[in-house]
Amino acid sequence: MISYLVFAGTIAGFYALLSLGLVMTWGQGGMVNLGLVGFVGLGAYASALLSAAGAPIWLDWSAAAVLSGAVGVALCFVVRNLRGDYLAIVTLGFAEILRLAETNEKWLTNGSDGISGIVAPLKGYFGDWFALFYLLLTWTLVAVAAFFLNWLLRSPFGRALRAVRDDEQVAAVAGKSVLRLKLQAFGLGAALSGLAGALYAHLTSFIAPDVFIVQLTIYIFLAVAAGGYTRLAGAVVGSIALVALLEVTRFVAAVIPGLDAVQVASLREFAIAVSLIVVMQLRPDGAFGLTNERSGFRGSRPIQDLGQRQKAVLDDAS
Amino acid sequence: MSKIDRRNLLRAGLGAGGLMLSSNLSSSWAQQNDPIQIGLIIPLTGATSQFGATMGQAAKIAETEINSAGGVRGRPIQIVIEDDQSNPEAAVRAAHKLIDVDKVVAIGGSYASAVTSAIAPLCWEGRTVLFTSSGADSITKLPHQGYIFRTSPTVTLQGTRVGDFAVKLGAKKMFFLGPQTPFAQSYIDIISSIFKAAGGSGSGLIYEDKKASYRSEVDQALKESPDVIVLGGYVPDTSVVLKDLYRAGFSGKKVGFSFGINDALTKAVPAEASNGAYSLVPSASENSEAYKHLVEKMKLSHLDSYSCQVYDHVVLASLALAHAPSGKVDGTAVRDNVRAISQDSEGKRTDDVVDALKLAASGAHVNYDGPSGALEFADNGDVKGVFFRYEQVEEGKLVVRKVG
Amino acid sequence: MLTDVLQYLVNGLIVGALIALPALGLTLIFSVLGFVNFSIAAQLTAGAYAGWLANTLLHLPLIAVLICSFVVAGALGVVTDRIALAPIRRKSTSQTPLMVAIASIALNMALENAYRFYFGSGLNSFDMPIARDMKIGAVRIGRQQLHNLEIAIGLAVLLALFFSLTRIGKAMRAVADNVDLARLKGIEPVRLANLATFIGMGLAGIGGALLAIDTSVDPSTGSRLILLIFAGSVVGGLTSLPGAVVGALSMGMIGELGLLVLPPVYQSLTAFVAILVTLLARPGGIFSGATGVRR
Repeated sequence: MISYLVFAGTIAGFYALLSLGLVMTWGQGGMVNLGLVGFVGLGAYASALLSAAGAPIWLDWSAAAVLSGAVGVALCFVVRNLRGDYLAIVTLGFAEILRLAETNEKWLTNGSDGISGIVAPLKGYFGDWFALFYLLLTWTLVAVAAFFLNWLLRSPFGRALRAVRDDEQVAAVAGKSVLRLKLQAFGLGAALSGLAGALYAHLTSFIAPDVFIVQLTIYIFLAVAAGGYTRLAGAVVGSIALVALLEVTRFVAAVIPGLDAVQVASLREFAIAVSLIVVMQLRPDGAFGLTNERSGFRGSRPIQDLGQRQKAVLDDAS
Repeated sequence: MSKIDRRNLLRAGLGAGGLMLSSNLSSSWAQQNDPIQIGLIIPLTGATSQFGATMGQAAKIAETEINSAGGVRGRPIQIVIEDDQSNPEAAVRAAHKLIDVDKVVAIGGSYASAVTSAIAPLCWEGRTVLFTSSGADSITKLPHQGYIFRTSPTVTLQGTRVGDFAVKLGAKKMFFLGPQTPFAQSYIDIISSIFKAAGGSGSGLIYEDKKASYRSEVDQALKESPDVIVLGGYVPDTSVVLKDLYRAGFSGKKVGFSFGINDALTKAVPAEASNGAYSLVPSASENSEAYKHLVEKMKLSHLDSYSCQVYDHVVLASLALAHAPSGKVDGTAVRDNVRAISQDSEGKRTDDVVDALKLAASGAHVNYDGPSGALEFADNGDVKGVFFRYEQVEEGKLVVRKVG
Repeated sequence: MLTDVLQYLVNGLIVGALIALPALGLTLIFSVLGFVNFSIAAQLTAGAYAGWLANTLLHLPLIAVLICSFVVAGALGVVTDRIALAPIRRKSTSQTPLMVAIASIALNMALENAYRFYFGSGLNSFDMPIARDMKIGAVRIGRQQLHNLEIAIGLAVLLALFFSLTRIGKAMRAVADNVDLARLKGIEPVRLANLATFIGMGLAGIGGALLAIDTSVDPSTGSRLILLIFAGSVVGGLTSLPGAVVGALSMGMIGELGLLVLPPVYQSLTAFVAILVTLLARPGGIFSGATGVRR
């Protein structure tokens, strides 16, 4: 029972890192990154391959973060002018392309057979206590990330970022370097995701392309939505709530007689998806109505963007 | 943080640590009289699940037989079954649980090569024996320190048999179609070289395994004008390939393996699509008393080799522990004693579990042969001496053509 | 070499024709309601399952099977839209299109898992006789595939007539162009929204059934195609119905021709690149002259 809780707690930490990244990119930066899981995979594979080649753990994890961050910056640069649901589909597609590359480039990634035997750092040293050590390590990283991001977001950088989020054109007029801010925010979020991926790989000892699928992105969106899109603390709380929900559904499914493993898994995923829809319905203000996140630029977001016809949604208020 | 908070935090941390410590200690005390845990990772659901149910049943029968004979060193054995869902990721989670939580001495089953490759490192690092029924050669080439025993023929052996068989059928040009697995490329290489040696040629293509249509892949294959197509996939993708081959008008020979061409497949495709396909099937030791006995207990007319192997996995683990000097009960003890009870040349040959248990426990020499075969293992863990059956689909049913 | 290219083009046309129906649905819903509804993938699958049940359990003929698929997918689409998505649409902020889009992804996931729970993960085939392909010159084409092509074209024509000749069709175009004006003229937006959803999802359902008849159905049938469907829609301009058809056919052919240079695994890459290039270079799609639902 204890080891089960320790494992669940470590996974919560993993989700927390991803949620912090999403708050940074989306809640504070206004860029929706539905390709989260792609960066997780990138970091996981980078770290797994480097550690198999003999590089020390701290180097593997740093490299994972740096690589994911760099790819994130590159992607953000390409799609810098896309807004809203267009950005969503492109980032979603990007994660899928990464997964296909991981599946196809067998010479590098071993394809769909995956990479097994990923070294667990200091496992021999800790023996039976390894799980607890890893739990503490994960949450230490979460704490460090949270404090760093909190400091960053309270700084002029954070204010400028929120200005860009709320009204890009006005921010540009005010002299903010819009592109640089967006690249930094997106890249930072991607780097965190890459680090989380490395963490995951060394925890479970096995990764394969099919581990990194869109479901994980939906999980993180739920965690962030439940906790409050723009708030770092909310991200952490939301992640814990997410894991609690996952384990409760596992327990409930176990009580229902005659379910096979596939049905149990579907039940859990169904519960997560429905929860996200419910949270989105109950949250009255969508993403940016929280009053303690004033950026000083209170413009309404433009609906027409740079020549793209973005239609007003047909509301049912008739 | 205030003083009070810090103290509470410390207390909570100590409490958690204490709980962990006590659970560790109590588990080693508990081992004295509690059941010996033997884990099983088998495909109960998913693309490779055709034999999952019978594997589980066979293991349970072994468990009952051993326990009614008094168990191992006075302790009953307990089989813990986990479903790998035909997917390595689920298998890894199952392995973590079996090794870290249930503290099993051995894991049996492990059918699909991708599953076995994924969990193997966890097993030898956790000093738990892995009994596998997978074929990929790469598995026993891993640095497993003796913790892996394979009861199924290797891919090299199977590929050689298929290649020779296809050449004997008169084929000159071979094309291999299969999904990505740890053994797909090996099959292409081995069978192609056999064809080349016979004056022909061979090549192949590895496809993505979850597609609903393989038109383009079939087109690519037929462009080479092969007279035999070797199918290296499992039931779901092989069904689609067979249908697309039929639609494309392929009239040459089709040869597959028992993990792809079996009863589940013949039920899944129309008779026209599967007609004439050959299947290479590792044969259980069908003339042995052990096999007849097991088949009778399972109330079947016939049992596949893989389920027989899983029965033997449980028996081998138990016999090894019964034989282990110093009464140690862990994975290392299993590893060190398997060969002593299964291939001792001075041992009394027996295929009766109860008999073998008595002999092993008394310290006498025993040589256990199971329903899956004589169970002689090479140094790297591969089993020696395997028989095959060659079957062919005729009007939707598999018929035995040759044994050898 | 030429025959290879020809074969790929024909294969592409077949794939494109099947994608055209859900792409039309996606475009229709975007035109009238203003957001991208990802759950169209799940309705495609719903139509496929409904058709499969109609075929294997009730042994209905082809036309009845397709009607079944249309109705089930359409109805499920409207019901899930009202329950899951409409409440979010009601809060109209500038973020709404994105929020509804994300909710539709979650909805898609929920439905897919419901199918998996009920039907399992396996592939399910229709009870149709298997037949050798026909050979027209040097090109191979399946009988069912030719059927599918005919049906898809027929439906596209029917839809075009619906929008230009019927009162409701014209009303839908009115709503798409200008909500307030439409309301002034007494057209009720909500009912039209529901009708657009019903027709759009129903089309996807028929597409799913046709696809499954030729291959098989499993819970992920629709999700595997979502990028391709979206590409067809986007390339065609996201609000242009004929654009959706042309876009889908183009994507089908580009995807197959891509096999000349890319390994089969990377087929989705062509869809992704097409989406990216279109959104960046020519956001209005290749039909950027056309506006709204008008031709």
